[in-house]
Amino acid sequence: MVEDAISARDVRKVYRTRGQPPVEALSGVSIRVPKGSRISLLGRNGAGKTTFLRIASTLLLPTSGEVRVFGRDVVEDPEGVRPLIAVVPQEGKPFFHLTPREQVYTYLRSRGFVRETAKSRTEEALSLMSLGEVADRLNVTLSGGQRQRAMVATVISTQAPLLFLDEPTIGLDPFARRGVWETLRLLTRRGSTILLTTHYLDEADVLSDRLYIVDRGRVVGEGSSEELKRTSGGTLRVTFQAPFSDGSGLEGTLSTFGPVLKEDAGGSLTLFTGPERIQELMAIAMARKVPATVGPVTLEEAFLRLVGRSIDEEDSGGR
Amino acid sequence: MAAEMGAPRFSRWQGALGFMLTELRVQGHETLALATSMIVQTVFIVFVWVLNRGLLPYALLGAVVFSVFQIGERVTNESAYIRIDHRLTDLYLASPLTPEAYFLGMATGVMTAFLPPVFVLVALIEVLHPLTWFAALVFAAVLVALWLFASAMGYIFSTLFLDSRAIWPYSSLFYNAFGVLPPVFYPYAYWKAIIPHSLEPLALLLPPSASAALVTWAEGLPLANLSGGEVAMASVAIVVESLGLFLFAVYWARRASRER
Ligand SMILES: Nc1ncnc2c1ncn2[C@@H]1O[C@H](COP(=O)(O)OP(=O)(O)OP(=O)(O)O)[C@@H](O)[C@H]1O
Ligand SMILES: [Mg+2]
Repeated sequence: MVEDAISARDVRKVYRTRGQPPVEALSGVSIRVPKGSRISLLGRNGAGKTTFLRIASTLLLPTSGEVRVFGRDVVEDPEGVRPLIAVVPQEGKPFFHLTPREQVYTYLRSRGFVRETAKSRTEEALSLMSLGEVADRLNVTLSGGQRQRAMVATVISTQAPLLFLDEPTIGLDPFARRGVWETLRLLTRRGSTILLTTHYLDEADVLSDRLYIVDRGRVVGEGSSEELKRTSGGTLRVTFQAPFSDGSGLEGTLSTFGPVLKEDAGGSLTLFTGPERIQELMAIAMARKVPATVGPVTLEEAFLRLVGRSIDEEDSGGR
Repeated sequence: MAAEMGAPRFSRWQGALGFMLTELRVQGHETLALATSMIVQTVFIVFVWVLNRGLLPYALLGAVVFSVFQIGERVTNESAYIRIDHRLTDLYLASPLTPEAYFLGMATGVMTAFLPPVFVLVALIEVLHPLTWFAALVFAAVLVALWLFASAMGYIFSTLFLDSRAIWPYSSLFYNAFGVLPPVFYPYAYWKAIIPHSLEPLALLLPPSASAALVTWAEGLPLANLSGGEVAMASVAIVVESLGLFLFAVYWARRASRER
């Protein structure tokens, strides 16, 4: 049997702080991370992403539900799980008084790697994260993005079977981000599994085999990027450059295809659809002599629509 | 698969050494902190030197005891700083390094980093008032026990806060109150002179003053003339309290490695 890297069933978490009302951060989340895959958790601030990551990485106890990592229960057997994982914590900072080289090396040593392995892994991780030039400067003197890269280097150097990365590319420049993507692909090729969170949806799109969208502690969308775009209303966006209140009835016609967005302060009408309806829409544009453009829907647009829908439902759900 | 399952097999305490080296490197950059850690001791030694040179052996031995006790405060601050300000605890605990090895590594790292100033004091003692073999042995034993006690206390304490700035006033108050008020820098006989009779044993029950009382007694200093019962009480207290608290800290480190 091929077990999953993570299988989480109905995970709930209620934070209780003395003198504060309890906070339900997760209300029944089920997630499956197949071995060797790269999976992203997306969601607004406070959606519960970090909470889930910390529960699955044995650092936080769930209120109820079950999480297994390579078949081991994170609540019953944290000591069995911990050697198999490594975590980039959200907003983690490397030791200020170590250099990136010392940080990575001493971390590997404290994970039990012998000197030679620790040395060679350190050099590889530093070069993958392009830290060569600053590798011997104290972390305190590094820029924010360089420190973040030092954190990522520390964690990827372990080549642990399962890596949890909570916003690993925050503050990284476009080159450095691509460096991280390449490295994560390399790690999964070598057999690791990756669960990450990010607010950069282009990154999630190119990087993930599968995505989970979490909102207010619930999974509101899951699937590949294409699947999410489809369930959000379509993989293509069609924009008509026409004022919506020109009395031509264009908006009415278009709304038979689905919800119509009024953008550019009313200067254009946009709708999302699938390839099968493009011809019909283009025919309308030609007949009315209205310029229209077709483009792919971005994951960000799909995200906004899916989460927006969840917000609407929640609001009308009489809470 | 290339990402080896389980990575290197690991025993319970194994990673402590690796983490200790990390701590040692970190602390090594804080040379000024090493000097700062000797302020209280230096002040007392200078006062005693000026006011009553005869009490210098008590003050010097007390200064070493205080230095070791103070390691607990460093452990508190370091542990809270790493966990809260750097969020590195997640990095280290979600790994084969066990929580107890993390705690022990930190305690030994901080201790080792703060040893050099203690060696200066010990050298001073050897010059001004060489210890007998027996006293040296007792000294070593109580210092190890005191270090266990103080680091365990420090680690447990650090886990009780959500904000590292909230900890500083408490830890500083705690370590100074228990390291300075009881007879650590001054002789046990003086304590007896100022405290109600029924409260006398308090000094023998608190690890810092118990350590000071035992080592000054072992050295045969005149104002540290303990009865057999007092020696027994102080010895039992320090052994039981340090071992007990250390074991509790191991349990606590494991428990605190998973937030609720
Ligand atoms: N220690 C805590 N005590 C109480 N509530 C908490 C605690 N940590 C998180 N929360 C709450 O739980 C919810 C989920 O938080 P979480 O950190 O998991 O969000 P997130 O999805 O990671 O957000 P972000 O994108 O901002 O990192 C939030 O409402 C947050 O306020
Ligand atoms: Mg988060």
